[in-house]
Amino acid sequence: MKKLFYVILVILVSVFMFACKKDDKNNDSEVFEPSLNTDTDCSITVVGSYDNFEALEAEFDKFNEFYPNVRLSYLKLDDYNNNLGTVLEGNDKPNIFFTYTWMMGNEKYNSVVSHMEDLSNKDLNLKLDCIRPGLINKDANGKVLMLPVFSRTYGMLINNDLFKKEGLSLPNTWNELLSTCAAFKNKGYDSPMMGYSEKSSSCLMNTIAYPLFVAELAKNPEALSLANNLDPRAGEYMRSALEAVDQIINNNCVDISKCDEIKDNYTKVILRFFEGDVPMMICTADTVSGTKKRESQSEAFTKSPFNYTFAPIPLTNDGGYFIDSPSIQFSINKDCDNLDMTNEFMRFLISSKELNAMASIKPLVTPTIDMPLDSVYAPFGNIPSSRTISPEVLGIKDNLTVQIKVAAFNVGRKDMTIDEAIAMYGSFK
Amino acid sequence: MKRIWIVIVNVLIMIAMLTFVSIYSNVENKKTINRQIEHFENTTITMEHVTENYLEGEQRICDVWAHYINSEEMTLEEAVSYIRVSHVLANASAHIVYKDTLRGLSTRARKYDQSDFDVSYERMNLLNDVSWIHSIGEFINISRAYTNPVNGEQSIAFCNFITLKDSREAILLRVLPVSELMQKWVFPQEEFESAELSIIDEDGDYIIKGHSFKNSSFFEFYRSYNKLDAASSQEFFNKIVSSTGTFSMLNSKGEECILAYTPFSSTGGWTLLSLMPMDDLIVNTENWLLIGFVSIGLLVLFIFDLTFMLYFNKRLQVSAREAASASKAKTDFLSTMSHDIRTPMNAIIGLTTISEKNLDDKKLIEENLRKISLASNHLLTLINDILDISKVESGKLNFIPQTFSIVETVENLMNLSQPMIKEKNINFSFHISKMEKEYLYADQLRLNQIYINLLSNAIKYTEPGGSVCVDMKEEESPKAGCVRLSYKVSDTGIGMSPEFLANLYQPFSRQTDSRVNSIQGTGLGLAITKQMVDLMNGQIECESEQGKGTTFNVVLDLPIADQQRENMKLDAMDVLIVDDDDILLDTAVDTLESLGLNVEKASGGLEALGMIAHRHESGLEYDIVIVDLKMPEIDGVETIRRIRSEIKSKTPILLISAYEWSDIEEQAKDAGVNGFLSKPLFRSTLYDKISEILGTETQSIEPESDYSDLEGLNILIGEDYDINWEIISTLLSMYGITTERAENGRIAVEKMKNAEKGKYTLIFMDIQMPEMNGLDATRAIRALDDPWASSIPIIAMTSDAFAENVAECLNAGMNGHIAKPVDIKLVIKEIRRIKEERK
Repeated sequence: MKKLFYVILVILVSVFMFACKKDDKNNDSEVFEPSLNTDTDCSITVVGSYDNFEALEAEFDKFNEFYPNVRLSYLKLDDYNNNLGTVLEGNDKPNIFFTYTWMMGNEKYNSVVSHMEDLSNKDLNLKLDCIRPGLINKDANGKVLMLPVFSRTYGMLINNDLFKKEGLSLPNTWNELLSTCAAFKNKGYDSPMMGYSEKSSSCLMNTIAYPLFVAELAKNPEALSLANNLDPRAGEYMRSALEAVDQIINNNCVDISKCDEIKDNYTKVILRFFEGDVPMMICTADTVSGTKKRESQSEAFTKSPFNYTFAPIPLTNDGGYFIDSPSIQFSINKDCDNLDMTNEFMRFLISSKELNAMASIKPLVTPTIDMPLDSVYAPFGNIPSSRTISPEVLGIKDNLTVQIKVAAFNVGRKDMTIDEAIAMYGSFK
Repeated sequence: MKRIWIVIVNVLIMIAMLTFVSIYSNVENKKTINRQIEHFENTTITMEHVTENYLEGEQRICDVWAHYINSEEMTLEEAVSYIRVSHVLANASAHIVYKDTLRGLSTRARKYDQSDFDVSYERMNLLNDVSWIHSIGEFINISRAYTNPVNGEQSIAFCNFITLKDSREAILLRVLPVSELMQKWVFPQEEFESAELSIIDEDGDYIIKGHSFKNSSFFEFYRSYNKLDAASSQEFFNKIVSSTGTFSMLNSKGEECILAYTPFSSTGGWTLLSLMPMDDLIVNTENWLLIGFVSIGLLVLFIFDLTFMLYFNKRLQVSAREAASASKAKTDFLSTMSHDIRTPMNAIIGLTTISEKNLDDKKLIEENLRKISLASNHLLTLINDILDISKVESGKLNFIPQTFSIVETVENLMNLSQPMIKEKNINFSFHISKMEKEYLYADQLRLNQIYINLLSNAIKYTEPGGSVCVDMKEEESPKAGCVRLSYKVSDTGIGMSPEFLANLYQPFSRQTDSRVNSIQGTGLGLAITKQMVDLMNGQIECESEQGKGTTFNVVLDLPIADQQRENMKLDAMDVLIVDDDDILLDTAVDTLESLGLNVEKASGGLEALGMIAHRHESGLEYDIVIVDLKMPEIDGVETIRRIRSEIKSKTPILLISAYEWSDIEEQAKDAGVNGFLSKPLFRSTLYDKISEILGTETQSIEPESDYSDLEGLNILIGEDYDINWEIISTLLSMYGITTERAENGRIAVEKMKNAEKGKYTLIFMDIQMPEMNGLDATRAIRALDDPWASSIPIIAMTSDAFAENVAECLNAGMNGHIAKPVDIKLVIKEIRRIKEERK
């Protein structure tokens, strides 16, 4: 039954992707035609949590070719998640703001959600069909309140030159991963795999455990509702994921003490990888998006550059998973000034051409159905659709992700046993 | 130098000049840009001062609050209440948070909950590290721009540590919206209105961020769009946050911008940045205009020079060809002259030699003399033509206009051409049409020359039995006071080939044809004619077809002389005119009617006889009958004979002919003709002849063959050359004129000094003579005291035949000019003219 559900799911995703791809070609052939007065003089502000958003600023410049007098700017808000509501109620109302799936249904963000415009409104003429359906969230009323601009996935950065140097092949299965780690260990590498381990947010343990847990839930639809409802009975479905974390640690694939030296889950992770002595750095695609820019900031990498890619961790003997979930999403503040021009900008942005362009600059995985991948992400192009899972399609809710994240973190740091962690499902904060 | 090298040198000079202008412009442009950049940097420094003063002012307010709160041991609520009362700015607020928890109160409530004054900086990552906040009064403790947790506005905060009641450490934040600052933060200079400002901290993070500044850190922004290696980046960024200067960089659009930076002195590690697109900075584009203008100018000059160089080269080539051609022409000319002069000279010398050997053979001598005379005349014509063409080509041909009768000119033309026409038995006709103005004002000699040249050519190149026709007509001229005289000569002669026509007016060009090899000519006639027509502003046209004939048409606008014959009217009489030539008949009828006559016309002798007989029978005789000589059926003489013999009419009859009538004069008189008329029939000719026949006007013209009036005249001849003296004295003696010789000018003057009054009738004076020339002698004679001697007529008789020579003679005081070789008829005419004037 589970198998049948899984197969149907994969077929549906594939059919949707194919259908979207066909349509998208038609859409791509369309050239953006301004629908408003191109002399319009106004301002549009996008607020978010990124320190930098060069990819979006490049889109501003492109949009200015059509509307030269529209002043677009990106602004990072401090303590974004807490201040967003205040900002939306304040005097400097942003036009577009970053949103996340977990905001939906979260009471704390009810006021935020109330500002979101329904982007499925046909009058807006947005080309939603260019985005992979699994990445589009709809509320209970079928409204699309946020649209993904990037896709997040989980995996590891691989120093390909180091593998070549040591004469080792890239691991494609779980057993190969363990043996490869052992081989590196024998060659003097204290921690063949590394990652951020100091806090649970974006920790390497979650990066290993989450895809396995999601895959488990995909195989067991009856467990999904239990897990979403934080029912302790769902804890058992974490076992295989937690065992994988435990096995990685016990096999000395990861030296936690070494990983603890990495003091943040983004820049420091990248710079540590660029030191050139880490064969595999476990992280999310959000972290990978910062690598290009930081190449020049790393003296070690500048001196001895090497080839690297981002690949799924081979968590099973069949290989790894491509967890296709939205990274950041954009919502339009329906109460903002210049709403027409804001909708016009969103119409400009939501196209295969522009979304792919942004993903290329960032670089991150594009949310579009044609999904051209940057060379760094090339290994994900080899993953069969049967191993591609969209949590949004499955219906995974955010509170579920907290449970697996904290459980994996504690197991990985040996603060809990696997059984203890399973037993505590639903109680992690 | 070859043309290509000239072009290369020109292009190189152009490139060099353009390079110079370009370099000079660039240098000047760079200087201007540097000055503007310096100005921009100074303005940035000024902005830093202004900003710093503003920030200091705001910080002082915060300092005052902190001092007061510290001195009063207030609780958090009391401190907030105090500040709420103290500050007045509508959009400013203050936050006080405990240093340990980073939580506290705001002076303003949240918008959506007016009772909520709580504020937290726990997650703001703003006050976690407060090392940048110094003791009160030491520095401007200003935060970076951050999101105000109470109202969500981007704000900056002026901070101070304060101590609240119970010694609780807290942080006081005077919070101002960035928008408030941005409104005041505008470049004062208009030329920098597109400049944007930012403030960064020592790590490059923006404290306040201008729109064109991207990323969260300026250093990140710079690295994103500009190349900078990791090694030198730290040094570069350290320089930006520690000194004042400018540099250029690319912005997010790839545009080149100028960035000025200057550090704040009273805010730890902050730097003011101003960024402006380079295009907005460069306002001086005139240099490019200059380069463009110089480039176009040089190009135009180059093309202009090149064109002219090519043009002059072409001209030079043409000139060279012409020079070569002229040289060849000169050689050809000499060769031709040699041939053309030697030919008649050969005849003269040869025949003279033959005559000397056969002095006893009178007939042979007479024949030889006739041939010598012909050869001499040809030689004279040749020399005259050469002189004329040389005068024309040297531009020395001057016209001497005088009043003349076109009738006389035509008569002269007829007289000259008659012998040739008669000799060659050519059918000749001369039509005139509407010739109303008889007297014109022009150079008669040259006009004659034009007309005679064309007519003699026509006769010369027409074979015996052919025909030559002259049409002369008067038309209205577009020039005021002139008539347009058209002179058209058509012949049925040998014609000309198209090749010959192309060079028709070239000197020494003669149509060669087996039929005309014997035709003598200089080959200069048409060249002279053309030049003269051109000089008289006329047109000459030629149509010719080889073997069929030629037509020349000369059109001249000639001034009308003041003197005209008026009142040429006769009593109304009946006149019959008879001619087979319809054109002549119509023209003659018009002319006769204009004289007041009643004219009837007959196109042949028989018709005329009928008309005369009819009149005779009715007793209404014609008053005068004019009959053409040559007519079909019966000719003019036969017609007259029948009028007289058969009709017995005594009506006066005039015989008209285009030919000389000496041969038929006796026959005609016997037939009963009363007088002769020469074609063409001018109005005055008809008037004079009819008047003469009717006895209304006496003929006053002296008979040409009567020279009795010249007998007894004594003429002094100044001539140094014996043969010339012998010729002129002999010729004059033939007319009964006696002569005395003066061998030079001095002798002539002496003779006049000593002569009695009336001894000499006039003097013929040669010009070039030894001791004293003719001109000086004339001046000396004119200076004599004796009035008779000083006023005696002096006629130049000289080989100096050019117009300027004539003018020179007249200026010296002479009364006339006769060119050698002398034509005795002209000499006699001149003597008579002088004699008439002396009467």
